[in-house]
Order: sequence, then structure tokens, then C-alpha cells
Amino acid sequence: MYLQSLDPRVTRLHLPEGDMPPMEAKPALDQFETYEAFHQKKEGAAHTYVGPVHAPNEEVAFLFAKEQYSRRFPCVGLWVVRTAHIQVTPYAGDSENIYDMLRIEAPAEPSAEAVPYEIFHLKKRGKAHTHAGRVLATSYQEALQEARKAFGDKGPIVNVWIVKSKDVLQSAEEDKDMWTTIPEKKYRDAIAYKVMDKITKFKEEQKNNIAP
Amino acid sequence: MNELAIKDLLYKLADDQLILGHRNSEWTGFGPILEEDIAFSSMAQDKIGHSLAFYTLLHELGEADPDTVAFTRNANRFHNSQLVELPNGEYDFSLIRHFLYDNAEIIRFEMLSASRYEPIAKVATKLKGEVKYHVLHANTWIKNLGSSTEEAILRLQAALNEAMPYALGMFEPSAYEQELISEGVYGGEEAVKAEWLQRITAVLEKTALQLPDLDSITPKVGGRKGTHTEHLQPLLDEMAEVFKIDPTAEW
Repeated sequence: MYLQSLDPRVTRLHLPEGDMPPMEAKPALDQFETYEAFHQKKEGAAHTYVGPVHAPNEEVAFLFAKEQYSRRFPCVGLWVVRTAHIQVTPYAGDSENIYDMLRIEAPAEPSAEAVPYEIFHLKKRGKAHTHAGRVLATSYQEALQEARKAFGDKGPIVNVWIVKSKDVLQSAEEDKDMWTTIPEKKYRDAIAYKVMDKITKFKEEQKNNIAP
Repeated sequence: MNELAIKDLLYKLADDQLILGHRNSEWTGFGPILEEDIAFSSMAQDKIGHSLAFYTLLHELGEADPDTVAFTRNANRFHNSQLVELPNGEYDFSLIRHFLYDNAEIIRFEMLSASRYEPIAKVATKLKGEVKYHVLHANTWIKNLGSSTEEAILRLQAALNEAMPYALGMFEPSAYEQELISEGVYGGEEAVKAEWLQRITAVLEKTALQLPDLDSITPKVGGRKGTHTEHLQPLLDEMAEVFKIDPTAEW
């Protein structure tokens, strides 16, 4: 006999009844590597950190980030970066500016060709890193130095992320319409279905039906 | 404009999206990895939303309301292609079906967003971006898995060979083909098919997968005229189960 379930899809799997044999142990460290996702909520707004995804590569990370972080809320752009490609400064206190506390070394190879870097600032602990802008530099150290000159004096900055622009996979301008269909997708939130209200109402009706 | 021709077009668009939307929803809780479970579920919601938009246009043309149309017809009154009603099979088949279907669907949406029948043009323009993402999802996976391990390539190739006769059945012409084309409502199935072949070939060329020899395949047609496989009626029964118990139920 097969396992019978209220879910017809389970019944159709023709699983044996009773306990399933235990699954084989998974090898250690078989997870995908991590990528970090940044979304742009509206036209002109800075890209803001939304969270990580596990993925086998950048392209797939983009897909996962799109589902994970932009399927419910308004969004017009998405960036993903391999976590290992992000350089992170130490953390400062909430009212401090990390740029004032860092001794930034002179660039190691000043002769190297300058390339663009993206700079992200964390203004306050518990908030999200937000894109501050782009600088040209020959190393991460120099990028940090350039970032301090360009936008390092704007109030407290608790932490800085530095990424080479070429390591950021960015959604294309012409692909914005992937998000601009129906901005608020409430039907993707369990709460929009008011399931508990419906169950409560059903129970009330049952109670009234049973009452003499 | 010929109303019968427009209704016929709307029914095939809506029925394809509803049935594939339902099939996609069957992956909810069953996906090979959580992220894909979410992706198929979310595409299911998009597709069912698209079918609702087209059924609403039909309702405005005097057909029954969307719930009645979706939940009370028998299989022989559905106009979807047989491709979308086939069971999900394993993930390889679902992925290949998704790739073959959505690469055609996006061309329909692109054409329809320029339709001279304005209500369709509005809906297609508004919702096209969602189909574009479905194509990105399908193409990304086909490119990645289609050039990965031997097992992935063998499985995807077998699924491609199995699905192709049904995929060609998507382009079964309607009785109103010439009218729709000459009135600028829709570019017609031949045009969709030609563009589709170019697009899927461009993706498959980046993989180890081979496009089957199309000349040796007899397309599985009939779906557009109500001829279906044995898989559609059980799907409809299951989809309409709650509606049939209580047509006023909200969920």
C-alpha cells in the first residue's frame, strides 16, 4: 500500500507507508557560496543592502535574489556581489566616523591602472549598507582613500564596504519592466489571505450549528 | 474587429497560462531546492494572474465570469496547448517545458503589446515584464545545467526530445489566423514559431544540448480545438475541487 495523504500530490508519489529510511548524511560544506544582494526601491534611490543568497554562480545568485528580495515589494533595480569580493572596514561606534579612525596606507602599486570601485556606507548599526558612490582607484586601499575624500565627511559612518565595479552584477536598465508590472504584490503575503480570520469565522459557525 | 477571432485568441492565451500556472504551483513544497520551490510558486502566481487578466477581457466581451470559466469547463472546452497540461514529471522535464513555453509566451506578449485591439495591448504591456523574468529564469537554468554534469545533460536532452512534439503543438493555427494578422491584432502562429526557434536555438547553442530534428517530428496538435491528453481532466477536477464543494468559498 502507498502512503495516502490529504495532499493528492503526496499520494501520487506512491511513497511506501510507515517510516521512511533515514536520508544519507550530506557531505560537510556542500553548500553553495554566498552572494550579497542590493535593491533599488525607486528611480534615483541608492542601492541598499537587503541580504545574502546561496548560489552556484553570479547569474543564478541574481535569480535567487530577485525572488528572495524583490517578489513582494516595489523595486526597480538589483545588484548582486560575491561575498568574497567585498572588502570590509572595521566597525566604528554609532556616532563615530570610521574614516577618521582608519590609517589608510598609501597605494601599494600606484602605477597600476585605476579601475572603478563601488562604495557602500553603513550609517548606523542595525540599518543597511547603502551605496554612497563610485571612485576610481588602483587598489582597495586607494579606493577607501578616494572614498574618504569624496564622501567621507557626511556624518557618522559606522562601516564601509568596497567592491570592484566589475564584480557587481547589475540589472540592466531595459530590464526594469521585470518589476514595474504590479508594484505591491500583497497576494504573495500569507497575511493578505486572512486565514486566521476565516478559520475563526468557520469555528464560530460550527459552534452555532451545534448549539441546541 | 471579428469578436469570435478575438475570443478565440484570448481563450488560448488564458488557458495556457492557467494550466501551466497550476502545474507550476504543484512544485510548491516539492522543489529540488528551496529557491526553486519559491521561483516556481511565484511564477505560478504570475501566470494565474495573467489568465485572470485575459478571462476578465473575455468577461467584458460577454463570456461568463473568470471563476466560472476557469472552474466549470470540462477538458474538451479548454484551448490550451497539450504541452502545458503534461504532468510535471521530474525537475528536468518541468524546466525544459518552462524554457520551451515561456520563450514562446514572451514573443506573444511582445506582439500583443503592439496589438491594434487596445484592451489586449494594455494587458500585454502591463504584464510583459513578468514573462520576461520567467524567460530569464528558464534560460539561466538551461544554460547552467545544460553545460554542467553528464547526468544533467542527459536528463535535459531526454526531456527536450520528449517535450518537443508538444512544444511544436503550441503553434497550431486557429481558424481566424489570417483575420487576426490582417487586422493587426496578432502576428500569428507562424511568425511566433519562427522567432521562437531563433531564440531557443541561441540558448541551446551555449549548452551541450542538441535541438531535435524538427522535420522528423509530428507536432502534437489539437489542444487549441479541445483535444487533450488524458492528463487535463484530472488536473481540472483537482483545481476545481474547492469551487465545486462551495462556489462561494474565498481563499
